[in-house]
Amino acid sequence: MGLRRVASVVGLLQVFVALSMLMAGGVALAYGDGAAPGIFLSAGITAVAGFGLYKVTSLREEITSREGFAIVTFAWAATAHFGALPYLLTGVIASPVSAVFESMSGFTTTGATVFTEIESLPHGILFWRSLTHWLGGMGIIVLVIAVLPYLGVGGMQLFRAEVPGPTPERLQPRIAQTAKLLWLVYVGLTVAQVLLYVLGGMETFDAVNHAFATLATGGFSTKNASIAAYDSRYIHYVTILFMYLAGVNFSHHFRAATGRFAYLYDQEWRFFTLVILAFAVGITAVNLGAGSYALDGQGVEAAFRHGLFQVVSITTTTGFVSADYELWVPGGQGLLLALFFVGGMAGSTGGGIKAVRVLLLLKATANEIRKQLHPKAILLTRVGTKVVREDVLANVVGFVILYLLLCLVGAMVLAIMGIDLLTALGASLATVGNVGPGFGLVGATDNYGWMSAPQLGILTFLMLVGRLEIYTVLILFYRETWKRRHSFH
Amino acid sequence: MRVLVVGAGEVGFHLARRLSEENQDVVLIESDPERADFAGQQLDVMTVVGNGASLSTLDSAGVRGARMLLAVTSRDEVNLIACLAAKKLGVQYTIARISNPEYYERGSVLSREQMGIDLMINPERECAWETYQLLQSAAATDVAQFAGGRVQLIGLQVREGAPVAGKTLRELGEELEGNHYVTGAVVRDGVTTIPNGDTRIQVGDRLYLLAPTSEIQAIPPMAGYERFRLRRVMIAGGSAEGEFLAEILEEHGVETTILDRDRRRCLELAEKLPRSLVLHADATDLELLEMEGVSGIDGFVSATGHDEINLLSSLLAKTVGAKKVVSLVHKFEYLRLVAKVGIDASVSPRMATVNAILRYVRRGRVMTVASLSGIDAEAIEFRVEEGAPVAGKALKDLHFPKGGIVGTILRGQDIIIPRGDDEILPGDEVIVFALPEAIPEVEKLFD
Repeated sequence: MGLRRVASVVGLLQVFVALSMLMAGGVALAYGDGAAPGIFLSAGITAVAGFGLYKVTSLREEITSREGFAIVTFAWAATAHFGALPYLLTGVIASPVSAVFESMSGFTTTGATVFTEIESLPHGILFWRSLTHWLGGMGIIVLVIAVLPYLGVGGMQLFRAEVPGPTPERLQPRIAQTAKLLWLVYVGLTVAQVLLYVLGGMETFDAVNHAFATLATGGFSTKNASIAAYDSRYIHYVTILFMYLAGVNFSHHFRAATGRFAYLYDQEWRFFTLVILAFAVGITAVNLGAGSYALDGQGVEAAFRHGLFQVVSITTTTGFVSADYELWVPGGQGLLLALFFVGGMAGSTGGGIKAVRVLLLLKATANEIRKQLHPKAILLTRVGTKVVREDVLANVVGFVILYLLLCLVGAMVLAIMGIDLLTALGASLATVGNVGPGFGLVGATDNYGWMSAPQLGILTFLMLVGRLEIYTVLILFYRETWKRRHSFH
Repeated sequence: MRVLVVGAGEVGFHLARRLSEENQDVVLIESDPERADFAGQQLDVMTVVGNGASLSTLDSAGVRGARMLLAVTSRDEVNLIACLAAKKLGVQYTIARISNPEYYERGSVLSREQMGIDLMINPERECAWETYQLLQSAAATDVAQFAGGRVQLIGLQVREGAPVAGKTLRELGEELEGNHYVTGAVVRDGVTTIPNGDTRIQVGDRLYLLAPTSEIQAIPPMAGYERFRLRRVMIAGGSAEGEFLAEILEEHGVETTILDRDRRRCLELAEKLPRSLVLHADATDLELLEMEGVSGIDGFVSATGHDEINLLSSLLAKTVGAKKVVSLVHKFEYLRLVAKVGIDASVSPRMATVNAILRYVRRGRVMTVASLSGIDAEAIEFRVEEGAPVAGKALKDLHFPKGGIVGTILRGQDIIIPRGDDEILPGDEVIVFALPEAIPEVEKLFD
């Protein structure tokens, strides 16, 4: 492990973080909300620290795969910490732990917040919150790879460690080109959503912020009541559409943009879409059956719209709410709980387990059952027509087990610290899955502001581990990773 | 006409024999001197020892004056090069035996046309198709198609209690007025005869019948077989033939199980055949075969690379009640054995290749030919040209040789099962059954 190289790349990334802070500072200046000095000061500190680190260590050689894991993990940790500076230096958050929580929640696109009162925050801070989503959604490192081709030498290691899903696919032979194309699609979709919002009467500032949070599957809103603040069917459906698009593999969007609609041929897409539709219809039926919505035309539409909105929001791990799902009957909430274990598609900005892993696990289980009937059968697991190799399958099974364990341990620790079981479980699921809202005291209309510093610290860690898909972080806790004799440099 | 055959393996040897029996001048090129010697002694052909892909060998075999080159060694690359060279040297027709699909499928580097090869034959695929056709009928021991599939030939054995047993063909003809089929050949105790009206059918006879494809379903019940639909098939052996067959079965929605004893091959098969059940097992593991439901299965095909294992596993499957058992047989000598030991039918990749090549070689007047395993007669499809000796004559006035019979006349869209009064007109397509010794005489009638 070349710690110098790790520090060097981490330093370089902070320069980018500082540059993005300047944008938030610009917004603060434009609105004259008084946050500008604090944000610019944060940018200055971050830039000096990052550039210093980069200069002192200076990257020259290729990155090995274990360094890749370390770089990505440390880069994210450092980014979350420097990203907390604007909150502290403008004085909107006093506690450093809370500020880091908010920042980590932003970059990991979780969308869990410590703020109770959002609408009175300075515009610069609101914009910074949304910007952390937007940068973290596609991945800060993917962005840097796209911009700085020379990182591309070992870029695949970083790309693999940061991009969600079992096996990232390449759209172009060069990793830097792939990263560029993905960002292009991302920017394009964001612009489209902003335009549609503005056409629907949303203020431009809110439109941009919500679009950032949607495409990143984040969930920070500029309104206290989240999307529920807008009593507009149009805005609800636009949000549903773009949350859904953000949960789909971006490679498909890129292909669609070049005229090749490959969605239907992807079994993961069919599974993902089917799950969403089935659960939306199920929840609508349960809610109508329980009388939560009136049984006339308008009531049915509202039941379906809110059912679909919450289903898409939780499945894609966005975390926007259009209605308080905790007021639903237990049946509706139970269905929603199941979706915490699905997540977006591989290659999307969504978090969670990922649809493809769930699909693979179901298929592998079906094969095991079939194997009881035909003990000598050679049964392969396929996604579409593609055969999934045994080692990939083992990796997926391991991942899902780790994921569930992490949720469980997280909930257990929170419970030991005195939080009620429902809230503890909800908070754990919502942070590991980068969803945002959970159940109980962290439900649809609540926030995380009431938690103690140690509790927030734990959740901050869970968000990071969840965003980097567990292995990337956990590998650093494995002793062999740090043994010198395995290093080639 | 001079024909060059490259490779004196079983395919080449058999081809050379057929062609020389039909009065073609055959030059056989073989790299193994012993095999070449053997062929030279057995057949009326010239043999040249050497590599069929080398120019000097081709030259000394007289490639420059030849009309046709058939490259049928077991090596694709040798066959391709021999054909390429022959085409460049002015040979009119070239035919290559190719096993690797990558050489002939769409998207290969060089297309068949670019390489100047007139016909590529894949023995394994031909064989898989024949097996599929055999499986579709519980009764058939042989099947072949004519007139683009409108007419079928079916060979089957007469069972105890069959409606046709004990009757003469004349009686049957009167009884089944308007029934559309014709009996072309009868095999009794290993002897093939071309029947006439007085031939009496006995239990155990093997009959070769021609019928329009639409009527073919009616034939097995007459020979004492139940009606049959193919739902479940087990293929023992993951050979190329087995794989192609499984592909065909999958396409037709038949539930397919394929097994092989090599684990790596099983993984390959499982990857290529998403809808088949692939088992890692031995073709002769009866316990496993029974557990996987071989008793009562509609079709069982033994398709390993070893004839002995194929015959054994076919017998096992037949014993435990598989309805239709087809065995893959590579060695020509074993083909006779199949019917004797009670296996329903056999297919031979080499025979399939010979058939496919002969079909092409004789094209022109001759459109299709089916050489049948375990029988000496051939079914040949002729086109009647203006001025041919048969044209415009009624069948009873034709002096058709004893060893031949007109099976079917195709006139436009009509399929005629002929009687003595029927005439043959120019433009007709006629399917004839003939014993080998009668073929030259029959051909003269159509010349």
